[in-house]
Amino acid sequence: MLRLLSLFLPTVIPSWRFFKTVAPSPRIEYRLIAQGSAGAWREDRPRPAHLGMGRILRRMLWNPDWNEQLYLVSCSERLIEAPSQHSVDEINLRVAQALPVGAAAQALQFRLVFLSREGEEIVKLVEYESKPVPLAPLQGRRV
Amino acid sequence: MSVQELMQQGLTQGLTLGQAMGWMQLLLSFAIAQQSLEHLARGDRMIFVPRLGLCLLMALGVGGAWPLWGLWVISLAMLWRYQGPYNGGSDKMTMLILSCLSLAHLAPTPFWQEMALSYLAVQLVLSYFVSGWVKVVNPEWQRGEALRDVFRFSAYPVSEGLRELADRPRFLFVMGWAVILFELVFPLALLDPVALKLALLCAAGFHFSNACFFGLNRFFWIWLCAYPALIWFQDRIF
Repeated sequence: MLRLLSLFLPTVIPSWRFFKTVAPSPRIEYRLIAQGSAGAWREDRPRPAHLGMGRILRRMLWNPDWNEQLYLVSCSERLIEAPSQHSVDEINLRVAQALPVGAAAQALQFRLVFLSREGEEIVKLVEYESKPVPLAPLQGRRV
Repeated sequence: MSVQELMQQGLTQGLTLGQAMGWMQLLLSFAIAQQSLEHLARGDRMIFVPRLGLCLLMALGVGGAWPLWGLWVISLAMLWRYQGPYNGGSDKMTMLILSCLSLAHLAPTPFWQEMALSYLAVQLVLSYFVSGWVKVVNPEWQRGEALRDVFRFSAYPVSEGLRELADRPRFLFVMGWAVILFELVFPLALLDPVALKLALLCAAGFHFSNACFFGLNRFFWIWLCAYPALIWFQDRIF
């Protein structure tokens, strides 16, 4: 009950501090593991190079992929600030479901890379690496 | 009546409490239905099919306040399911509007109804003013560096091409300050009904640009839902 209250109160007494600071920004990278051999790290759902005005306007009404990506950003930030199995499970599940079904890999592993600026340089720092989990059961589950 | 007269009437007229609540419920039906359809593309049918059904009932005006209270309970369940907001500030605003409207329907007297809607109106003003205040006291925002960083490395730009805007520091400096100043002076718009309508138009344009640049489409729709509360509040208080 206390946990529910702690989730509810910030919605009715919001802080409204949008973009107070531009904090280090998380990216999720994953790799697939097949027969004990781990593949290369890849970025989960990389952005398109360009987006036309038509697609941008369509996204005003229909934007489920991007909103899920923003949710994964929240899960990544929560995982660093207040680690929980919920965040790990949500990231594993949603990364697995974005992958093509029937991949030869048996396991999935992700890591969180945080980007920030030091002077004029953009630096990347790996702040979390998950334990590998079996891929097939995740791909068979509904979100 | 000419178009010019209609526009003038629209800009100067306020809303009654009942009208404001009616408009908010109609807009909310659309905004929550839009969110729910996006969620249904992912799953979680146990939550979002009933949520969609309640939106339909609310839009049709069936069931009195029950669909609204049902949506409030489902929003609470969503907070539990996702262990916080799924879509940051837009989910917070959804819950805030649902809470204030639910309380307005439960209120024993018109006074408490007005209090519930006034709270929402004040929070809407704060959503702009506080957001401007935290930026104006931050040296990175003052120098225009913060907005450059948003485009340079944050997770928000919807395409890699948009990151090139980080190479236009003067443009971003002007845009950053335009946003800060608009957010800070927003409360002054309460002093005049026409100024308020124009400020709300500018604010909607601001949310629209955020939706285009950063994919924050849900923020656009849900902030619009709260505007009738502020139009009523301005007419009632000033």
